[in-house]
Amino acid sequence: MKILIVDDSSTMRRIIGNVVMQLGFSRDDFDEAEDGVKAWKILGESQYDIILTDWNMPNMNGLELVQKVRAGGNHQKVPIIMITTEGGKGEVITALKAGVNNYIVKPFSAEILKEKLDGVLKK
Amino acid sequence: MSMSQEEIEALMSGLDIQEDEPSTPEVQEPEPVIEEDNTSMSENDIADLIAQTDVATDDSADSSPETATPAIETQAESAAEEAISEESIDELINNIEENDESTASEDSENIDDILASIDGMDETPVESAAAAPVSAPVENASVAAERPSEPEKEAIAKDWTDGQIDQGVFPFPVEKNTKVVNQLSEVATDSEEKASKIFDVLSFVLDENNEIQKNSKALDEFLSKQIVLLDSLSKKFPNIASFKSNLELAQSLQPMPSNIIDRTNAENAQLFEAMELMQFHDINRQKIERVMSVIKKLSTYLNNLFEDETDYHDVATAKHIHGDVNSNLVDEQDLDALIAEFGN
Repeated sequence: MKILIVDDSSTMRRIIGNVVMQLGFSRDDFDEAEDGVKAWKILGESQYDIILTDWNMPNMNGLELVQKVRAGGNHQKVPIIMITTEGGKGEVITALKAGVNNYIVKPFSAEILKEKLDGVLKK
Repeated sequence: MSMSQEEIEALMSGLDIQEDEPSTPEVQEPEPVIEEDNTSMSENDIADLIAQTDVATDDSADSSPETATPAIETQAESAAEEAISEESIDELINNIEENDESTASEDSENIDDILASIDGMDETPVESAAAAPVSAPVENASVAAERPSEPEKEAIAKDWTDGQIDQGVFPFPVEKNTKVVNQLSEVATDSEEKASKIFDVLSFVLDENNEIQKNSKALDEFLSKQIVLLDSLSKKFPNIASFKSNLELAQSLQPMPSNIIDRTNAENAQLFEAMELMQFHDINRQKIERVMSVIKKLSTYLNNLFEDETDYHDVATAKHIHGDVNSNLVDEQDLDALIAEFGN
């Protein structure tokens, strides 16, 4: 299983990566991208089973990335979890409408991410 | 009693001053004293005196010439006291008188020598300097002393400006360190780098703990095998005490690896918690970015507000306009008086 972690904060990418490793994945199981543009490029090069993306990022934000992924391509059906500080109801609805499968508000615990990952992967 | 190496060095350094340093003005003052002592006492006498007295030993332990010289003087005085007891009072009085005269003459000669050795200092220039009018240079010197130097002026100006800034009279100068968005951006970037380094440390400890756990597991397996082996050996050879004692030792050590594993597990849990808490760094960074965004938008708004769409050029503006509250304004009477005064 391959996971793509997209976040402009290197610390946040490492935190998510660590949580993912706690869930039993190895370092080779996930790749990182610092914005939507780089994520889109990586998605064109490899196949991923799940995408974990932030919302607010430079160049291309998470919402735009989700819209682009859902618009077409190899990852159109791939589960996407948005991990962001945007905790407003309006934002959650916007993200879900754009095609996000689940939504996590920062700060989050490892258990929350585990639950959301399990829920997405079971589907 | 023999002299220590330090005492010898102290003595030698005292002698070096006499021989080597007449050209330097700083050490010329104690020089006559040294010369006096050396003329009346031989090196052997000095060495004997140093060896005889504890005070001399303590003082000469410090190898600096300044401390060595008084030590020599002390020895010379004590030697003179011993000599007094052996001679008659009259002779002593005569000697003292002679010594005083010779010492006085030597002192005056030494002072002359010292003065002569200092560049530009002899009697004639001193007299001419005394005769020359000194009031003008002294005045100039006092005026120069009153006038602050350039660095002092800058310091005064800086103090005053800082005071004005603190009181809110002056704004902060537009510098890199006072640009708000610039500073906030630096804070966000810098804290991101530092957070990454903290994460490196936490990851390192986590990796080390995992390694310790692996080793502890291997140690646990080895201990279990050893216990089985020693158990069978001690049963087979009950008379050999070492089997039994080693078995007991291995049994007592057996809980340790699992104990280490438990402890590192607990430590790892704390590390994961610390890593999770570092999410707040990202949250705070985003808060800073939000403030930066507000300031940038405000700046854009103010620029738009004050933007001049006409082809405006700077024109000369009046300094004193009717209605201004200014003591420098002239009224009709002042104006008439000024015109009359110039008589144009």
